[in-house]
Amino acid sequence: MTCMLNSFGYFLRETAHSLIHNKFMAIASVLTVTLSMFILGVFLAVVLNMNHMAGYLESQVEMSVYLKDGLTTEQVMGVGQRLKALPDLSDLSFTNKDQAMEEFRERLGDQAAILDAVNGNPLPSSYRLSFSRPDSLKEAAAQVSQYAEVESVQYGQDIIEQLYKVSQAIRVSGIILIVFLAGAELFIISNTIRLTVFARRREIQIMKYVGATNGFIRWPFLFEGMIIGLVGSGIASAVLWELYKVMLNEAAAAGLLFIPFIGIYPFMLHVTLLLLGAGILIGMLGSAISIRKYMKV
Amino acid sequence: MITLEHVYIEYTKTKIALRDINIHVDKGEFVFIVGPSGAGKSTFIKMLTHELVPYKGSVIVNGVEVNKLKKSKVPYYRRKLGIVFQDFRLLQEKTVFENIAFVLRVTGVRGKKEIREKVNRVLDLVNLRNKANAYPAQLSGGEQQRVAIARALVNRPTLLIADEPTGNLDPATSEEIMDLFNNINHMGTTIIMVTHNKDLVNAMHKRVVSIEDGHIVSDVKKGGYDLHA
Ligand SMILES: Nc1ncnc2c1ncn2[C@@H]1O[C@H](COP(=O)(O)OP(=O)(O)OP(=O)(O)O)[C@@H](O)[C@H]1O
Ligand SMILES: [Mg+2]
Repeated sequence: MTCMLNSFGYFLRETAHSLIHNKFMAIASVLTVTLSMFILGVFLAVVLNMNHMAGYLESQVEMSVYLKDGLTTEQVMGVGQRLKALPDLSDLSFTNKDQAMEEFRERLGDQAAILDAVNGNPLPSSYRLSFSRPDSLKEAAAQVSQYAEVESVQYGQDIIEQLYKVSQAIRVSGIILIVFLAGAELFIISNTIRLTVFARRREIQIMKYVGATNGFIRWPFLFEGMIIGLVGSGIASAVLWELYKVMLNEAAAAGLLFIPFIGIYPFMLHVTLLLLGAGILIGMLGSAISIRKYMKV
Repeated sequence: MITLEHVYIEYTKTKIALRDINIHVDKGEFVFIVGPSGAGKSTFIKMLTHELVPYKGSVIVNGVEVNKLKKSKVPYYRRKLGIVFQDFRLLQEKTVFENIAFVLRVTGVRGKKEIREKVNRVLDLVNLRNKANAYPAQLSGGEQQRVAIARALVNRPTLLIADEPTGNLDPATSEEIMDLFNNINHMGTTIIMVTHNKDLVNAMHKRVVSIEDGHIVSDVKKGGYDLHA
């Protein structure tokens, strides 16, 4: 380690020299890393956002209890009494069939005329319940749906399940893709470094004979791989960051802000750090693979 | 300085290159290693540099048990050796000065002044101070080998090892190089040299060790090339 600190300047000079000498290959591998890190970042952002949405919906603590048609007032009141006794209930309100129709009309706006073609009122009366804890809501939902007077209970469980399912599918295919991309990055970086190592094999041989330590010989090459990985993932992160910002702005402009996207900061910072870390690691590994063969003697 | 006891080296299970080698070399000695092609001379050298490790026997150099050396200690062991090859092995894109300074830099010497002093000292030793800024391609074979010798000496090794250092040189130049080795030896450096150069070996009256087919077949104190035959 002391040798490393002493020689830091030497390593940097050697690395810079070698990158410049080998610039086309270096640029090509930087671009490859950029592309695959970008794809990796997009996947990461999508999966994390979907999980975030599912989690957000799960934390919504409202549910609607739709009642069957033709109940007596006593029965409706009775249900209300039992609902009131549920644990962690924070709010309870009742919507009768007429109010439901009214709300529906309002929501349809211009197209409310189509309701005139409907005979009678098909909408159920309902209780709307709020809970202070999502877990209590789930338990209550299971319990209340068993009531004889209750037609159905809804709290967005379908969409939550859908979201988790899709995000799971994306995650699985994402992991496969990530392994593949990491492999490709490893391959291209190790090939780039292989060229450098090959060009300098005589130097390496002499270093070995005169007693340079393996660490000393290796560091400039490891640096080279690390810098390629770092620059590639740095560009990818910057592009991703900018793109995410644009997407959030577009969503806001299109009035889509009710979708619970993850805020840009510190989310993008974390994604960036992750990509940079992965880039450096893959760069180092790629170099280590290439130089191994020449370290014997 | 060097003590080998019952040393065996193999390349493959069926190819044993050195068999039961026993030899002792004192500090300050000058030893020629001679023998036909394929006898195992280069193998002998590679054992001293820890490129090859015997599967049997013990190799002690400078008080270091080379056959038991840990991998991480090998570089430090090699810093006390000077090694010279038949094909010079200079870096073509570096000047004479830089070729020698390279050795110091890669073994952790950082001071500019220290590097300049040490390089100039060995360049004076081989009488090439005036070529410090030349590139190897601009030098004769003899001059290139002198640069390689200077490089081998810059870390002040106690043992200088050479594998056919005059193999690529004409007789007159070979004689010059041999004189240089002789001078270095007189300054106290132990020298082990593999050579095919009969005339020079005969003229120098140094210790001659003959290897044939992986064996030491003779070891003569003030010998000549053909004495064992
Ligand atoms: N890497 C190797 N793998 C297998 N066998 C080898 C290897 N290197 C050398 N040998 C064999 O070991 C024996 C000794 O080789 P060595 O190079 O020591 O000979 P030498 O005395 O230096 O010959 P020369 O005078 O031609 O340089 C030879 O038979 C050679 O074929
Ligand atoms: Mg040989």
